[in-house]
Amino acid sequence: MAGAFKGCQKIRGPQIRNLLDAKDFILLDCDGVIWHGEKAITGAAKVVNSLIRHGKNVVFVTNNCTRPRENYVHKFCRLGFTDVILEQIFSSSYCSALYLRDVVKIRGQVFVMGCDGLRRELDEAGIPCVEEADDPDATIYDCALAPDVKAVLVGHDDKMTFLKLAKASCYLRDPDCLFLATDNDPWHPLSSGRILPGSGSLIAALEVSSGRKATVIGKPSRFMFECISSQFSGVDPAQCLMIGDRLETDMLFGSNCGLDTMLTLTGVSQIEKAQEYRNSELSTNHSLVPDYVVDTIADFLPAFEELGEPSN
Amino acid sequence: MSGSKCARLSAALAKQVLDSVDSVLFDCDGVIWRGDQAVPGAPQVIKLLKEKGKKVFFVTNNSTKTRKMYVEKLSMLGFDAKEDEVFGTAYCSAMYLKTVCELQGKVYLIGSDAMRKELEAVGLRQTGVGPDHVLGKQTDWANVPLDPEVKAVVVGFDEHFSYMKLNRAMQYLTQPGCLFVGTNRDTRLPLEGGKAVPGTGCLLQAVETAAQRQAQTVGKPNHFMFDCVAAQFGVDPARCLMVGDRLDTDIMLGSNCGLKTLLTLTGVSTVADAEAHQKSGCAERQGMVPDYYVESIAELLPALQG
Repeated sequence: MAGAFKGCQKIRGPQIRNLLDAKDFILLDCDGVIWHGEKAITGAAKVVNSLIRHGKNVVFVTNNCTRPRENYVHKFCRLGFTDVILEQIFSSSYCSALYLRDVVKIRGQVFVMGCDGLRRELDEAGIPCVEEADDPDATIYDCALAPDVKAVLVGHDDKMTFLKLAKASCYLRDPDCLFLATDNDPWHPLSSGRILPGSGSLIAALEVSSGRKATVIGKPSRFMFECISSQFSGVDPAQCLMIGDRLETDMLFGSNCGLDTMLTLTGVSQIEKAQEYRNSELSTNHSLVPDYVVDTIADFLPAFEELGEPSN
Repeated sequence: MSGSKCARLSAALAKQVLDSVDSVLFDCDGVIWRGDQAVPGAPQVIKLLKEKGKKVFFVTNNSTKTRKMYVEKLSMLGFDAKEDEVFGTAYCSAMYLKTVCELQGKVYLIGSDAMRKELEAVGLRQTGVGPDHVLGKQTDWANVPLDPEVKAVVVGFDEHFSYMKLNRAMQYLTQPGCLFVGTNRDTRLPLEGGKAVPGTGCLLQAVETAAQRQAQTVGKPNHFMFDCVAAQFGVDPARCLMVGDRLDTDIMLGSNCGLKTLLTLTGVSTVADAEAHQKSGCAERQGMVPDYYVESIAELLPALQG
């Protein structure tokens, strides 16, 4: 594995081919790596389909918690990634459900601040969630609190209200009630170049009101890699490559799991930021430095062409 | 501050301290009232201070009332107070935007109707106060229409806080030159029955995280609220006493402004908290050690009546 001080290596063609020869598992972030919103990045579908056809295990690791995995399968298909199946998709909402079911083995209800997509993953895993049935006039002063709430799970919630924050704060007063976050991203980029408030902003509010720190399920925490390892046999970190666009989530995730990391420049992070982290005196910043850099995932295409097989 | 700190205020010492000051600043919650009940003896303390020719001011981080509303509450609880003696963060935020920022343009306001009124009273227009209902499905969060006249985002306590408001605030804050002001960072408002209400600090942190920017806060312990008082009433810090129940806001404000400080134990902080700061050896924490403490401000009565 390249050392922190040798990071940010821009690679092309033959070097990519050599890298791929050494890797069995390719982990890919989605937003900013293979698509922007509803538009696939040019060449991305060909690359993914080629990786699969060349016998690589390809999995998608995304902090996006707004849709259930079935919807992701439809999106992959719509955007031309025709060989992708459900079992290859690891979203922070799916992994949160697994965490509650298999790690925590939750007995009792979960208070969820999140989208329908998150709730559906929890339902599918058999996790009981507190029903949202707030009177439009209800306030924290007169609302009922559900009994037996054993976890508060926070994700992207575009229906967040003061009342929900207040209820979550009340549940979190019980030290036996877990405080979980699908992810901690402060904001999300949209294809237009604009941004939206992310789960991280809601987590921050609750960390202030509760005085507690959330346990983050998604990248950069290791848990999603543990999910992948438990569902595929023979996953060796040394044979994995993590490809992402966000230094603070994707690269740090890769580093935390002992994987080689590659930054693609079609998304959130700029090369200058990666270089800043590399030159930083704080050694903890070195974990955010990618081993390799490509301009776009499409830079993989020549590597396949050189193998003499049609890349489509 | 030289000499010993965190001293229990005996009646004799109280007389000495009160003779050495011309003005007294009182925090409200946990000092002169608790919820909707006056602290026993507190109205009498205020009355006697004024009879002795002291200037009395009320300085609170609570942004949900205008000065007028505070005077109504003070009167109802038996306190003798005038509007211009009250400094809440709704009023002080408006003053800050007007006199320090010299804001030209509108405010995007996450806050109470009281904040709206105080802004309007200094001639500042706002947009955003009240519920921000999303009717039907919101398809384009990032392209919400932005009012081109908005030049500042202000965050105070807001029971109508929602994702849409957080989103709008963040969109405004990504515009160059947009100011960012918060009333205070209090984390929680306690409630009976085991419930807790998230404080302004929570809402502010949400906006700061999404926008990746820090707000300028107006409330205690920032010195601006004292500056407001001093500018209007010619207060000499060396002859001024700050009375509060929170070490991290009230006492810190006093230390920041060179005032004498008195902790009362009818609210949030304890003597143990103060002693922990004192023994910490950390220079920053020394500002949270009060000069004196009392169990309740009613302990000032003997010194005032004698």
